Amino acid sequence: MNNVKHAWRWQEILGHVVFLTGFIGLWEFACARGLLDATFFGRPSGIATFLFEGFVSKPKLWLDLGYTLIGTTASFVLGSLLAILLGLVFVMFPRFERAADPYLTLVNAMPRIALVPLFLLWFGLGLGSKIAVGTSLAFFIVLANTVAGIRGVSGDLLTLTRSLGASPRQLFMQVTLPSAVPVIASGLRLALVYSMLGVVGAEIVAAEHGLGQTLAYMQSTFNMDGVMGLLLVLALLGVLVTSSLTRLERKLLKWQ
Amino acid sequence: MAAIAIQNLTIRFGAHVLAVDDFSLNIHEGEFVSIVGPSGCGKTTVLNQLTGLLPPQQGKISILGKQPREGNPDLAYMLARDCLLPWRTTLENASYGMEIRGAPRSEAEPKARALLAQVGLAGFENNYPKALSHGMRQRCALARTFALKSPILLMDEPFGALDAQTKLTLEDLLLQMWQAERRTVVFITHDLAEAVALSDRVIVMSARPGRIIADVSIPLTRPRSVKALQKSAEFHEIYTHVWEQLERSIQMSGAPPQLVD
Repeated sequence: MNNVKHAWRWQEILGHVVFLTGFIGLWEFACARGLLDATFFGRPSGIATFLFEGFVSKPKLWLDLGYTLIGTTASFVLGSLLAILLGLVFVMFPRFERAADPYLTLVNAMPRIALVPLFLLWFGLGLGSKIAVGTSLAFFIVLANTVAGIRGVSGDLLTLTRSLGASPRQLFMQVTLPSAVPVIASGLRLALVYSMLGVVGAEIVAAEHGLGQTLAYMQSTFNMDGVMGLLLVLALLGVLVTSSLTRLERKLLKWQ
Repeated sequence: MAAIAIQNLTIRFGAHVLAVDDFSLNIHEGEFVSIVGPSGCGKTTVLNQLTGLLPPQQGKISILGKQPREGNPDLAYMLARDCLLPWRTTLENASYGMEIRGAPRSEAEPKARALLAQVGLAGFENNYPKALSHGMRQRCALARTFALKSPILLMDEPFGALDAQTKLTLEDLLLQMWQAERRTVVFITHDLAEAVALSDRVIVMSARPGRIIADVSIPLTRPRSVKALQKSAEFHEIYTHVWEQLERSIQMSGAPPQLVD
């Protein structure tokens, strides 16, 4: 059984290798023959050269990567912390939540990228404005999940714990919080992706450094190899951050 | 002194719904009493009055001479569903009640281990509830309940969700654990056979508004085995007798004949 499964996975990997080699080869071939315009689509060899130069021989891209990562991390941490705190306040004071809800809905409905010009004025061209956009995205996701998680606590568990004479603090620490953690965690995973989205989006509009800024620059100078290379980096980065968070989640929530 | 004394308890939900009507009951220390009735007859509502989880209503309740209050250490409550905390292991769940009631870890842990062994869960101490069957979860809940020092156990249909075979096994386990200590038990169920097999006394309630329509002593000798009783002529005789009494009360009270579902 195990052997069969193993063989299958081997074949899968082989399949992917064959597919990607074929895809890249066809792309390169089409560009070489002039069937595909490399000015618009880039070409694999050019993308590889760009990435090699950017990260190895003239490593300028590390700095941009650093800026984007710092912006993403700061947005994620700040947005999540604020959201969890406000979520707790909401659960403690439901009337406050009802009063605040229409305004939050209104702000959340705003396309966040449209706020970038304003944030640039308020927080400058540097990291500040990027963190503001990322935070504003992460915040609402985590807020909704925090409130849903805490509300979703099992009534039976609360009844049992109250019948044991638990203090409000014990009720919260022993029942409400642990049962909300999985819901909050799935919000955090999504918030991380959106933090990156906000930061890169804001960088594209205007920035001094960052992968988004470089992407916009490559696009305006018609360097399609650069654009494609950076898109690849961003996609890989997204996969990396979410999968590492998923792994952490699985470790922490092994009871699920 | 009665362990539990309920006098003229009347419970209303809102202005119009009369849930429980003029309910009076004395339960002696060490007595195993079942309350049987159709779904929605107010059995659980009465129990929640005892725990103090619902605000006091018309009537008087005394538990070992004291008024009901939330978190009363004289009571150990076991709910219909197993109510294990999914993020705690079997061992941590078994010691949960003691922990909330302030027992030090050094005392709670060995006691939880001993009780888990008693309910047949030795070797499963470090498993999370998701890995346990329904029957095993309810065994763990039994361990958690018996780990408390409370002289009165309130059990709300603890075996209602189990299959017939597992149910018989756990009923016997409960009787065995109870027999050793003889704490007062108030056991809620809608299964008349279960009530007769376990109890010293069976209280039958009518459909809403819940009233007591029969209070029957069960003369079966102790210690009992529910499994053995299944083949006992005496048990079936008593069961039939209670059932007949029930039918008569239904006819007299005019309640719809749907007592056991």
